[in-house]
Amino acid sequence: MAESPADVLLKGSSGRTSRGLLRIIILATIAAAAVSSRLFSVIRFESIIHEFDPWFNFRATKYLIENGFYSFWDWFDDRTWHPLGRVTGGTLYPGLMVTSGVIYHILRFLTIPVDIRNICVLLAPAFSGLTAFAMYLLTCEMTASPSAGLLAAAFMGITPGYISRSVAGSYDNEAIAIFLLVFTFFLWIKAVKNGSIMWGALTALFYGYMVSAWGGYVFITNLIPLHVFVLLCMGRYSPRLYISYTTWYALGTLASMQIPFVGFLPIRNSDHMSALGVFGLLQLVAFAEFVRGFIPGKQFQRLLTASIVIVAGVAVVGLTALSMSGVIAPWSGRFYSLWDTGYAKIHIPIIASVSEHQPTAWPAFFFDLNFLIWLFPAGVYMCFRDLKDEHVFVIIYSVLASYFAGVMVRLMLTLTPIVCVAAAIALSSIIDTYVFASEGPSPQSTASDENSSSEGLRSTRGPNVGISSYLSKIIMTSSVVVYLLMFVAHCTWVTSNAYSSPSVVLASRLPDGSQFIIDDYREAYYWLRQNTPQNAKIMSWWDYGYQIGGMADRPTLVDNNTWNNTHIATVGKAMSSREEVSYPILRQHDVDYVLVVFGGLLGYSGDDINKFLWMVRIAEGIWPDEVKERDFFTARGEYRVDDQATPAMRDSLMYKMSYHNFQNLFQHGQAMDRVRNSRLPADTPQLSTLDEAFTSENWIIRIYKVKDLDNLGRDHISATAFDRGHKKKRATKKKGPRVLRTE
Amino acid sequence: MRPFAAIAAFSGLFSSCLLVCAESTKDFTPPQAFKNVNLVRNTNLEKGYAREIINVVVENVDSEPRSSYYLAVPTELFDKVGGLEVRDKKAPEKDRFAVDSVLVESSSNSQYFVIDFPEPLAPKAQITLGISYYILNALSPRPATIEQSEKQFLSYSFSAYTPSAYPTVTQKTKLKLPSMNVPDYTVTSGLKSGEDPERLGTTYTYGPYDTSKVAPGTNYPVTVRYEFTKPVITASLLERDLEVSHWGGNLATEERYWLRNNGSALKNHFSRVEWTVSNYQQMPSVSIRELRVPLKPGAVDPYFIDDIGNVSTSRYRPGKLPARDASLELRPRYPVFGGWNYSFRIGWNDQLSSFLRKVSGGASDSYVLKVPFIEGPKVPEGIQYEHVVVRVILPEGARNVRYEVVDKATSNGLPNTDNIKASVTPHKTFMDTLGRTALTLTVENLSDEARDAQILVSYEYSLWDSMRKPVTITAGLLTVFVAAWAIGNVDVAIKKR
Repeated sequence: MAESPADVLLKGSSGRTSRGLLRIIILATIAAAAVSSRLFSVIRFESIIHEFDPWFNFRATKYLIENGFYSFWDWFDDRTWHPLGRVTGGTLYPGLMVTSGVIYHILRFLTIPVDIRNICVLLAPAFSGLTAFAMYLLTCEMTASPSAGLLAAAFMGITPGYISRSVAGSYDNEAIAIFLLVFTFFLWIKAVKNGSIMWGALTALFYGYMVSAWGGYVFITNLIPLHVFVLLCMGRYSPRLYISYTTWYALGTLASMQIPFVGFLPIRNSDHMSALGVFGLLQLVAFAEFVRGFIPGKQFQRLLTASIVIVAGVAVVGLTALSMSGVIAPWSGRFYSLWDTGYAKIHIPIIASVSEHQPTAWPAFFFDLNFLIWLFPAGVYMCFRDLKDEHVFVIIYSVLASYFAGVMVRLMLTLTPIVCVAAAIALSSIIDTYVFASEGPSPQSTASDENSSSEGLRSTRGPNVGISSYLSKIIMTSSVVVYLLMFVAHCTWVTSNAYSSPSVVLASRLPDGSQFIIDDYREAYYWLRQNTPQNAKIMSWWDYGYQIGGMADRPTLVDNNTWNNTHIATVGKAMSSREEVSYPILRQHDVDYVLVVFGGLLGYSGDDINKFLWMVRIAEGIWPDEVKERDFFTARGEYRVDDQATPAMRDSLMYKMSYHNFQNLFQHGQAMDRVRNSRLPADTPQLSTLDEAFTSENWIIRIYKVKDLDNLGRDHISATAFDRGHKKKRATKKKGPRVLRTE
Repeated sequence: MRPFAAIAAFSGLFSSCLLVCAESTKDFTPPQAFKNVNLVRNTNLEKGYAREIINVVVENVDSEPRSSYYLAVPTELFDKVGGLEVRDKKAPEKDRFAVDSVLVESSSNSQYFVIDFPEPLAPKAQITLGISYYILNALSPRPATIEQSEKQFLSYSFSAYTPSAYPTVTQKTKLKLPSMNVPDYTVTSGLKSGEDPERLGTTYTYGPYDTSKVAPGTNYPVTVRYEFTKPVITASLLERDLEVSHWGGNLATEERYWLRNNGSALKNHFSRVEWTVSNYQQMPSVSIRELRVPLKPGAVDPYFIDDIGNVSTSRYRPGKLPARDASLELRPRYPVFGGWNYSFRIGWNDQLSSFLRKVSGGASDSYVLKVPFIEGPKVPEGIQYEHVVVRVILPEGARNVRYEVVDKATSNGLPNTDNIKASVTPHKTFMDTLGRTALTLTVENLSDEARDAQILVSYEYSLWDSMRKPVTITAGLLTVFVAAWAIGNVDVAIKKR
């Protein structure tokens, strides 16, 4: 048979290089696909930072490149959490900002003037390309099949579960953390396989990078010890395991302690104790293995039993004592909420109020992973078939991550990599079976088979494995192709429709089909930035704190960092109380402007009235006597804003600010709230301690100026009543002695 | 067209051409060598700034020829005067006269510009001067705060006697106001017989007065307050970059504005309901609602952004080569009311071929670039620029940079070249090794009348200069490859292979 040009390219030594080249080209294409599928929002809108947290990261990055690394490290930010401030340098994960800072300085060195905003916007897509590559490496460690790695890389590149956190503009810690997660796991597998200090040290290095980048590093901190622990329990102790784990643990812990925010947590926090425990256990096991070589078997058994009992006893007593005395910190609240989904709702409403902390609805799995989710168990099963050390890792990871993804929506992100690995293993074995192993035994080999095996039993002959029927081959391959195509279509659709909205800019369609951009957020933020004093304090619900800091560049009372629940509750109380109660709070906190988000005109459902109950709940957690959630529901248990609204609701500052003057836009009595679909009371709520300062074009953002004290020393309510021409009722005249205002 | 001044700068070196005559003298009075025979001052208040043109017949009363005429300006207006231009009215096609500022002790009532005649004026001889300038921030809103849909009034104060260093025989002042609605104006008494001022439509004439007996510098305050239905647009800073690329055949323009509306501030806060209603009824507003920037035909890729990203409320109507102008319609994120600020940047690309000529003959590879000094929004109410920085970024390696302002017989809105600060600095960007040659021109107090002004920049640029970047990048990549190959060949293994 004459060699076709393809054979020349694909076989022999030149074949190896050309296959390598092909693989590189495929990987580069996958990376390009991964990057380009994340650019929907840049093309549709512009290069803009998305949502909430990224605005803080962006602001911090700008601070880093303006002031240098050391002042970033010592950064005390007095423009947030007024009047407390925030030790920002010590309470953030600096990995993301430092990464973009380094990229920025490299580009500056090459005198390529790229705006820092563009670096931040495109960082996540760029790293997703790297993630695809890391995925290829990780999967190649799991299976011998050459196609599995490439498939896994392709899956990882476009699966919505990962895209949800890494579209262009979503400049968040996860943007680089998933790459680091996958790459650290790859290095770990490599270290376990080779028992090499170098790979172990590299694992520790990237683990340190991961710690600097994302709080989710705890997942690695617990998963690797668990892997080792399971291997030990399976009786698979080996010097390779010892070398790689001890190297990783010692170096990795030191590296992680360099981050100020982490500090001494690795040796004091319960979340990190498993790593320390497994480290100790591994020493004992290694010692036992060492001793076994010198002591005869029976005595060794006795010694082993005794020492296990003693060590376990000491460990339990010691751990209890340390926990009681407080040297080891108890489990953190977020950790508890992982095991008990109701925990947060009762104890930490602020965590429960974030939508991404809610338990996952089951369609979300299919939405984010499409057909990978049902290939996933098959892949895990295949790992059970040849259970090497690395396959144990895949199994543990799958079990843990599946559980966590079920508990919290955002942890779908940690599940996605292992789903891609498992699905790629499963799919590649299908493809290998039906496409490559299909050529039946050739005549020559059959002949030699007959010669050699004529003496043996039929069953011991080389089994005739493989599918030879063309029909089944065609059916299987075509169905796989169809599934893959559907996957790609689904991923693109989900990315384009669900995950590519900047949420700062809203888009809608005009009747003629052209795009209409609703840019109210930036309109109002830019108004604040341009027309208020540099130090005007803005009070808003914490969701908008980072955006105000980033876009309006004004100090805020609370923001998305949520480190001080009491402060947030104070804002909640100010929003949910009557003006007489709120005004002193506003004065005490130097508030100049209050910002509320109101969607009633446009039907924008993510507004403050819909979030209002969380404000009430959080305030109630601190002042149960003054703010009561029950007061905001009608007698029939309804949450209403119309005529039937409860007095507490109608007197609350939030209600008044949202609907102030809104009725004047409509004919008398015709005012409709399009979010809650209810007709509003005919009269507009009267505000006496605040002035409307600015309202954006579609009324989404409303800004109020806090009035100064009245010049004549009246309280604001009577002052406004006087201005409106209402006479003071005689009956309400007080006869007590005059009291000086105290403020 | 005539070269005014030329700065020659060796690449990377900066040479200043500014010569400020700084004579600081106490109680300075100019030598009484002249007499204003007849003086007519035309003050135009139709725009957001005051435009004055003074035509004056000057006679030398000294016994010897004199060439320095002192122009008096009240101290409080001295820093606000821009675009001062003096010509011989009888021969407008001739050059402008050189003008310098004289700094007198600040407690003095007037400051002076000194005008140098090219030829000294003989005794008893007369010359007619046409002096034109504009005064920035001279119009103050009265009342200072108004309701959102109230009318806006500006007031302008000046002296009925035109400030002068010399005695004036007869003089008058013509005021051109933008509207018929003038609630207050000063009626003079005893300055002349009959009604003063005389009104004709929107023109108010003070004078003529016989002031041969009045001492120079006498002040007779006059105030007019008139309705101004448009915003008072002020740019506290305009930065304008023009970047020339020979490789791309492209002239990229970017302009950064720091705008402010100097009109009446809002008495209460901004009311969206009222704004929506008045917009619906298409009522006029004294806020900056829209700015139109005419661009050259063939301008492409326009953008309109501010500190926090793209402003989606802009429209671009592309022009058509060769004649129809393109138009960029900018709508700020919010209506800019009195006292509010709005800063933004716009930019676009043009084909270089319509701005650049290769000079034929003479020294090889010599180029001349002709670009407008400023462009920017063209609005009927005019724009005043307090500070303008124009930067022309030439290709890397451009040498012998010279510039000149194209001058015409009428005012082009620019001051004398002496009052334009110029410097040549390197500007490093996009993988430059030496840095591009950037010519920076800085002017204080400008108005949008300077839209008509063009500047010529000539420079030398050789073939090797244009090849520098490809060669540098190739060499850089080659270095990387060689280094990678060399490092790959180093054996650092501890154990033996």
